[in-house]
Amino acid sequence: MIFHKKEKSCAIYAPVSGKAVELSQVPDEVFSGKVLGDGAAVIPEDGTIVSPVDGTVATVPDTHHAYYVRSKDGLEILIHVGIDTVDLKGEGFQNFVKAGQNIKTGDILVKADLNLIREKGLNPIVPVVITNMDAVNRISATKGIMEAGKTTLITYERK
Amino acid sequence: MQKFNYSIKEPEGLHARPAGLLVKCAQSCSSNVKVEVKGQTADAKRLFAVMGLGAAQNDQLTFTVEGSKESTECAKLKAFCEENL
Repeated sequence: MIFHKKEKSCAIYAPVSGKAVELSQVPDEVFSGKVLGDGAAVIPEDGTIVSPVDGTVATVPDTHHAYYVRSKDGLEILIHVGIDTVDLKGEGFQNFVKAGQNIKTGDILVKADLNLIREKGLNPIVPVVITNMDAVNRISATKGIMEAGKTTLITYERK
Repeated sequence: MQKFNYSIKEPEGLHARPAGLLVKCAQSCSSNVKVEVKGQTADAKRLFAVMGLGAAQNDQLTFTVEGSKESTECAKLKAFCEENL
């Protein structure tokens, strides 16, 4: 507040309300093995997925199950709604954005039908991954109860 | 410089998982690896760039591999595509 540190710690907010867990707990080795990058995951209680940062929507796949957001400070963040949900081919997902559009933290990206995802036998867990880890010095993930767009999920130090 | 073409067989196209694995394979190469689809080119070592291509089933990817180990690394990337995409 009064004192300004040189190394500023920045926040990625929860993209969905629910319970945050470590990325290693995601039942998909591409995420748990951090193949795509480091981050955290949220077990969702609600299907409204929001932007975790101020930035730009980079890519929106036709299947509306995964969103790529670039933060204002250049972080590339993948928000993947559920595991193997690409197989739903868009069923159960209502998209709210288009590629290239500016967004604020808390703006809705997509509404997902969590019941439908579960009925199809899929896990609706939402991994949030920084895919350009070379842009950060270190990250730290918060665990516990999250409110979409309000609770800090990941803090990071920009290089 | 070495080049090869590959048409995507996976019905879901180049979504997060295969794209992530492709990027990991490209990152393990010392060569400069570029991938082109529908006139758009991306650095194959950057997931953000590769996913931004939005490559779908039956789209043709053109890989360009350039470096001192380009022959072996080109073969490695080709084998990866055959197996995973």
